[in-house]
This record gives sequence, C-alpha cells and structure tokens, in this order.
Amino acid sequence: MRLRTIVDWIDARTGLRAARSHLLDEPLPAGIGWWFVMGSILLFLLGIQLLTGVVLTMYYVPAPDHAYDSVRFITDRLSFGRIIRGLHFFGASFIVIAAVVHMLRVVLFGSYKKPRELTWMTGILLLLIILGFALTGYLLPWDQKAYWATTVTINIARSAPLFGESVASLIRGGPDLGALTLLRWYTAHVFLLPAALIGFVVAHLYLMRRHGISGPLQPVMGSPRPFYPYQAVKDTVAMAIAFAVLLTFATSFRVPLDAVADPSDSRYVPRPEWYFLSLFQLLKYFPGPLEPIATIVIPGLVVLALLLLPLFDRRPNRHPRERRMVTSGFAALGVAIVVLTFLGFKDSPAHADPAHWGPIAIAGHEFAQHQQCTTCHRVGGAANPLSNTRLRKTPEWLVAHVVDPDTIVPGSRRPPRGGMTPSQAQSILSYMRTIRAGGIPPPSLEGEAHVATIVLGTYCANCHMIDGNGRHEGPDLTQAGEKRDSKWLRAWISDPEAVDPDAQMPSFGDRLSPEELTAVVNYLAARK
Amino acid sequence: MRTQRAGSAHGDAGRRQFLSGIIAGIQGAIGAALAFLLGGAATAPSFHARQTNWWPAAPLDDLPEGEPTPVTIRVTREDGYNQVVDRQVLFLIKSGDAQVTALSSTCTHLGCRVSWDAAAQLLKCPCHGGVFDRTGAVNAGPPPAPLHTIETRVEGNQVLVQL
Repeated sequence: MRLRTIVDWIDARTGLRAARSHLLDEPLPAGIGWWFVMGSILLFLLGIQLLTGVVLTMYYVPAPDHAYDSVRFITDRLSFGRIIRGLHFFGASFIVIAAVVHMLRVVLFGSYKKPRELTWMTGILLLLIILGFALTGYLLPWDQKAYWATTVTINIARSAPLFGESVASLIRGGPDLGALTLLRWYTAHVFLLPAALIGFVVAHLYLMRRHGISGPLQPVMGSPRPFYPYQAVKDTVAMAIAFAVLLTFATSFRVPLDAVADPSDSRYVPRPEWYFLSLFQLLKYFPGPLEPIATIVIPGLVVLALLLLPLFDRRPNRHPRERRMVTSGFAALGVAIVVLTFLGFKDSPAHADPAHWGPIAIAGHEFAQHQQCTTCHRVGGAANPLSNTRLRKTPEWLVAHVVDPDTIVPGSRRPPRGGMTPSQAQSILSYMRTIRAGGIPPPSLEGEAHVATIVLGTYCANCHMIDGNGRHEGPDLTQAGEKRDSKWLRAWISDPEAVDPDAQMPSFGDRLSPEELTAVVNYLAARK
Repeated sequence: MRTQRAGSAHGDAGRRQFLSGIIAGIQGAIGAALAFLLGGAATAPSFHARQTNWWPAAPLDDLPEGEPTPVTIRVTREDGYNQVVDRQVLFLIKSGDAQVTALSSTCTHLGCRVSWDAAAQLLKCPCHGGVFDRTGAVNAGPPPAPLHTIETRVEGNQVLVQL
C-alpha cells in the first residue's frame, strides 16, 4: 500500500505509468514470432558491451607503456577480470553475428520498404559504428596483433586516392603509430563511438515505434496483442539464451593476448578479427596500385548499395520470391563473404603461441632460479621476483643487465659476482616474455630433454631461434631435424669448420660433455 | 481496436501474470549475474589488504644503544598493474640485548617527517611543532597519537621490519 502511494506520487509528477504503457503496450500484429527477437538481442548485447566496457575502463590505461600491463592485470589478477574481458571480447563477435542476422531478417521480410527506409539506413549506419568499435578496440591491448593490425588499417587508409595520406595522419594522430594513436583510438572507442551509437540506436528505435514493426509477410488473422508480455517473453528468453552462450564462451575460452607490441619486429604478419577477414583476403587479389579497389571501392560500393537499397527497391511486394534481384544480390554477397573468410582462414599465418614454453624459455626459467638473480629478485628483495617483473627496458638493456647487473643498476645491493653468458641472458629474457604472456609455469623436463634444454639455453640462444625464442643471427632451429639428421648435427656442432671451411659458428666439441652433445643432437634431430 | 486490455477475461489476466513472472525471473537472473560479475570486478581491489613483507633494515651491530637511528628502506610493491618502489624512513631504537623497536617517521598530526634532535633527546616535527619522546609517545604539540610502531624481528645480526 505504501509502495503504491509512493508510485502514485511519482506518477503524478512524471507521468511514469503513461510512459511505461507507451513503451510496453505497443500493439503488435498477430503472427510475429521468434523472427523478431534479433533486434532485442542486439540491444541487450550492446548494453552488455557498455557495462563491461565501463568496468574495463576502470583498469585500462591508454598509454603504450602501461596498456599491455593493465590488460594483463585485468586478465590475470582482477577478480572476474578474465570473464569481464571475455564478455567484452566475445560480445563484439556476438554483436556482429546478431547484427547480420537482424539485417538478413529485415531483407528477407522486405521490412526496409516504405515507410521504413530511414529505419533501414540508420540500421546500416549502426552496423558501420559497430565495426568502428571493433576496429578501434582492436588496438587497445597494445599487443603484437593490435599494433600490426592497426599498422595495416592505417596503411589501407593511406592507399585511398587524393586524401589518403591526410586521413592516415588524422587517424594516426602523428607521424608514427604510437602514444597519440592509442589515445585517439581509445577516445573514439569510449567517447565518440558510444555517443554516436546511442544517438543512432535512439533514432532507430524511435523510427521503429513510429512506423510499427513490419510483421509477417502475409497478414495473419487475429487481433493485435501488446508487446508486453507476449512478445517481451520471447525477447527475454532469446536474451537469456544469448547471455548463456556468451557467458559460456567468456568462462571457457581464454581471450588471446599476444606478446607486447614490438614496433621493431616487422616479421610479424597480423591477422584481423574474423569479421574483417574477407576484406583482408580481398586485398590479396588487388596488389600494388590496384589496392584501393579492394580497400575503398568494393567496400564503399557495398555500403552504398546497402544504404540505398530501399530507394532502388520501391515496389511494395515484400515476399522474397517476388524480389529476386535483391535476394540473389544478398545471396551472392553472402557467398562471397563466406568464401573469402574461409580462404582468409586457410591463408592466415600461424603464430607461435606466445605463452607456449619453448626449450630456451624453459632453460631461462632454470637460470632465473640461480642465486645471481634471486639475490635481488625475490619477495622482500631489492627488486621484484622475475616471474613478476614488467619488461620496460629494451632487450639490449636486459641482456646487458643479466650479464653484468652492477654496471646497469649502480648501487644495487650486493651485486652478484660474475655474470651469465649472453645466451643465458637471452634465455632469461625468453622466460620473462613467456611467463608474462600466459602466466602459466613451465613444464618440468627430465633426463636427456632437460640436458638438451640447458645446453640450448646456455650456448645457442644468442644466435639461434627455437619456437620464437632466441636471436636471428643463425638459422632457426625450430625444425632442425627436417633438414639434418643426427649424424650431420653431431659433426657440425662438434666442429663446424670440419664440415664447411667457411662456417661462421664456433666449435662446441670441447665445450660440451659427450652426454650434453648427444642430448642436444638427439633433441634437434627429433624436431621436425 | 487498439489492443486486448488485460483483465478482459480471467484466463488472459492469468496468462499475462504468468508471462510477466517469467520475464521478471529471467531478467532478474541475468541482472543478478551481471551485477555480481561487474560489481565484483569494479570493487574487488578496493578491499584488498596491503601485502606486507619482512625487509632487511640494518645490521644489529650498527645501531647505537637507545638512540633512534634513521634508516631508509626501499620497499618494492605492487600498485595495481604497476610496480613501484617506495622509500620509507624509519627510526630503529636498540634497547638491551637484541631488542629493536621501529618507529615510523611520519608525524601523526599531518604527515610531515619527524627528525631526531640529539641535543634535546626528542623526535621533533618541523611543521607544527609536534614533539615525541624516544618511545614515540607525544611530548608536546598537536599530534593526536604516538608515532606508529612497526613490527621488527632480529635474525642473526640482521634487523628486519615488516612493511
């Protein structure tokens, strides 16, 4: 009774009940079923993006020095952070799917026709805004994928005729991709695009209410029924299913976070998010000066055709069979996108998982337990434990520091005597990168594999790469066994000059014990 | 005809009520799940206690008997996603055999740094004239409470403090 009095009081001053009735009692034609729930799902998913986005913003730092670490903090250390980031990350894909299904429903039912032309156009603009969110959000974690995918995006803008360079400079915010770019894209992602999204969603919903929903293709006998609760219950059940699936994704799959962005590593070939993969693949068929055809002309024409669809198709017939041009056009577009996406997946470079433990990183973990490191790098020590140390310096600094800590950190307490080999330093660096990329401790090895790992970490890592760790001075040993057998490897490692007088590699025959030599030869020969 | 109004028939009203219940139930469950996850993530770090560790402060032999000796300790700690190094100044006071008390050097009035006046045998704050004796108790001036004491422990010849 008292609650009713309070509601009466508020209603008398705000018209709350009338507003609620206007919102919820909209009469809907008979015969609309589950086809019409997609819009509500989309709105619900956008709401989840907004909420999870706000929480992520509480912890994210849009600066190159901190962005990656703040995302790592969210993923690994914040309570529910991994799930929140998962909801936001997978939610983006869900939105793209829901938006496309919603659009296909509208096309199939001919719902874009008079008087709903502007409803359709605001919908297409909303789709573009959603893709804008996806594009700008991609850079924010500041990992390798983010950095190099954004480099590609900016280069695509550059390829546009006439204003390309100016547009690229504008979205880059400076002469190079860096701090200003990150801040700019962050601002777009959390201020500009949400403002545009809310504006267009309101316009879209207003227009939807103004003209009512289009209803089934053939009018169904029966009297109209209010939205609430008859359609609302379908929408709610659909939302619950979407939420359950999204939550399952967010809790079961780890959101990828690559190694931290390294502008000097131009070997990295980025791959875009799956919904941009068709465009990425299209680019491969238009090399050189033809590139703008794939980057600007074709996508531009598709968007223009979509926007203007209701102006071209003005006949009142709604049934898909009576609109063969439109349905076959969409079918062709759909097939093209699916085929290009499939080819894009097949054609994508495979990236080594940055959290995968290669032999050099495993050896580095062992070296990092050495007293030379733990004298300072321990809980309660002069510096943080290595497993928990941010990599803020260049690789050159880090290697020099491991080799001789005292020269790099003057005044460090009780500098450890001696140092480590540059190869061991590389291994420790690989260990720190790997533990930082995944937070999973390394597997423990025993016997010959363990001996081989330590040999590789102690002697090889300063010149060779294995599983993405080490240096590129000599050949990559990841698949050493594919080209060379154990006999050749043994001869080569023992005395390279005996095999090839011009060999650059030093001889290790006198540095390795027979067991060590056998272990590393067997290990490398088995890598195929 | 606009819509069938609720309550026109008994059965329809019951159906509406039933459907409304389903809607409220499902939306309530989704809302609760989201509130739990988002609220948890938004507030969790606010309630995390500061982690403490034992830090080496000084060799026991270096401390004079009964005289507050300032020591600077580098404390590395986690600050959210960041790692910071705090430099904290403490007074160590050795009394008797291997008994060491540690006093914070931060004045309990407004947080200025107190210093040891050997002539007066008092710890004095330069800001508003707060004065403490060698046990940290307030001797004069505005400080509302004695200087904070910090847990100490002696291991061999090493004095450790908990920060």
